[in-house]
Amino acid sequence: MPNYYQPEVECASRDQIKAWQDERLVKQVKHVYDNVPYYRNLMEKKGVVPEDIRSTEDLNKLPFLTKDDLREAYPYGLLAVPLSDCVRIQSTSGTTGRRVVAFYTQHDLDLWDDCCARAIVAAGGTKDDVVHVCYGYGLFTGGPGLNGGSHKVGSLTLPMSSGNTDRQIQFMCDLGSTILCCTPSYAAYLAESIYERGLQDQIKLKAGIFGAEAWSEEMRQDIQNKLHIKAYDIYGLTEISGPGVSFECSAQGGMHVNEDHFIAEIIDPVTGEVLPDGEKGELVFTSITKQAFPLLRYRTRDICVLNREKCSCGRTHVRMSKPMGRSDDMLIVKGVNVFPSQIETVLLNKGYPANYQIIVTRENNSDKLEVLVEMTPEMFSDELSKITVREKELNGALKAMLGIYAVVKLVTPKSITRSEGKAVRVIDKRNLY
Amino acid sequence: MLKQLSVFVENRSGSLMNVTNALLDADINIRAISSFDTPEFGILRLIVDEPEEAKAALTARGFVVRVGDVLAVELEDKKGSLNAMLKILADGNISINYIYSFVIRENQAPVMVFHTDDIEEATQLLENHDLIIVD
Repeated sequence: MPNYYQPEVECASRDQIKAWQDERLVKQVKHVYDNVPYYRNLMEKKGVVPEDIRSTEDLNKLPFLTKDDLREAYPYGLLAVPLSDCVRIQSTSGTTGRRVVAFYTQHDLDLWDDCCARAIVAAGGTKDDVVHVCYGYGLFTGGPGLNGGSHKVGSLTLPMSSGNTDRQIQFMCDLGSTILCCTPSYAAYLAESIYERGLQDQIKLKAGIFGAEAWSEEMRQDIQNKLHIKAYDIYGLTEISGPGVSFECSAQGGMHVNEDHFIAEIIDPVTGEVLPDGEKGELVFTSITKQAFPLLRYRTRDICVLNREKCSCGRTHVRMSKPMGRSDDMLIVKGVNVFPSQIETVLLNKGYPANYQIIVTRENNSDKLEVLVEMTPEMFSDELSKITVREKELNGALKAMLGIYAVVKLVTPKSITRSEGKAVRVIDKRNLY
Repeated sequence: MLKQLSVFVENRSGSLMNVTNALLDADINIRAISSFDTPEFGILRLIVDEPEEAKAALTARGFVVRVGDVLAVELEDKKGSLNAMLKILADGNISINYIYSFVIRENQAPVMVFHTDDIEEATQLLENHDLIIVD
């Protein structure tokens, strides 16, 4: 039995969705042109005026926005309403360069909460659920987004925020949390910690909504099996609103983009040309309902595929694949494209923990790819030859997947730093940029 | 037959001490120790007075530990006694994976610890030749 939060929107006909998008896009372009000099300047450079945009077919006439634009326009340069109309600021977790800040009116927060509510209901959430949110609260959008969505659904909301694993588990047991919202790496860590404490029988979780970082299908299986839950993916970015830009349904076959609020395009990351559905490329979003911080054609750097085939859940909104990597965190090692998710897939297939670290170094102009893997009781043997055989198998599997040789280094369990937010998977010591 | 602990240790200063420290805190007495190292990591092998307690103490500190069977044979402290023992095993076609030694303080007897895939057969052979198996 499929669950919808706003069935009339989530299951609307494609014609209806197109009509909403056409009308809202035209209005939004005018709003941005009139109120955001930074973007008006970009449009003028491209020789486009709002009258040129009459429907979604004209979308590709508009210029792109990138993270660089957001940094340049920091803090108020892309704001489209008076600051006095805004009620909230959120910011990216940005580890490099200047932070990006996004602004929200009360209307924007309401729509964002609706998007998250759709995700929670799709994961089986009702007003009888206990939604345990251990995404960070604060400038990071994860906590506030799912918190707002949970309120809309009417679920009992546990605003745990991140960290303090003992307390997370205690509340989970004592208050009977049924839906867990956090990063997938923290979910995997929680699962391990629950088993270490022997509390697996006291956990009442039925579903998890995990996002904010890349995770593989194998990692999903791992988390589902360990916690006996169904794990749902959720996608979003602060620039566009936060979590809930798209979300997974029970079919677990891609994330439905909330197309009444966001138009998704896939472009060739090099030429900027729009690619047909089904082709892999960079995901671009246009925000058509936001008032305060309405980004047009924002380049996410996430590499995805869009799928407009009918979904078995009954929703009509386009599905995006899990990002297959980021055009900016993809590693080029010895001239070969390496995605951390590929390494993760191999490790999990071979029975190693999903907690790993990739270290890239350059010695004598030659790249070296090192993968730190934690030793497990299952892998360990009193006999060196048995460990060596397993190491060689892993080396072979990595070579087959990546096309280049990776040095496997076995390390003490739990010695790889587990961040309680985004996991640090890659350490590139080459200083290439 | 004796129980031996094998512990995974990284090649890093202090890693052996972390093991002995955990055992000290658990009041475990170490009777023999031997290490096998590779460029990346080592396997530390230990004979202790309370193997299961030792395993629990180490596991609680995050170490990966295995407990396995090894044979320990008490030898006379004189030339040729090790050779004699090894000849018995060689004649019986028993192969040894690794070997190390320690001393029992009370009677000053050297003890050879070794690992083989054929523990039962090796025990039988050695006992037939009146060698003392420590347990």
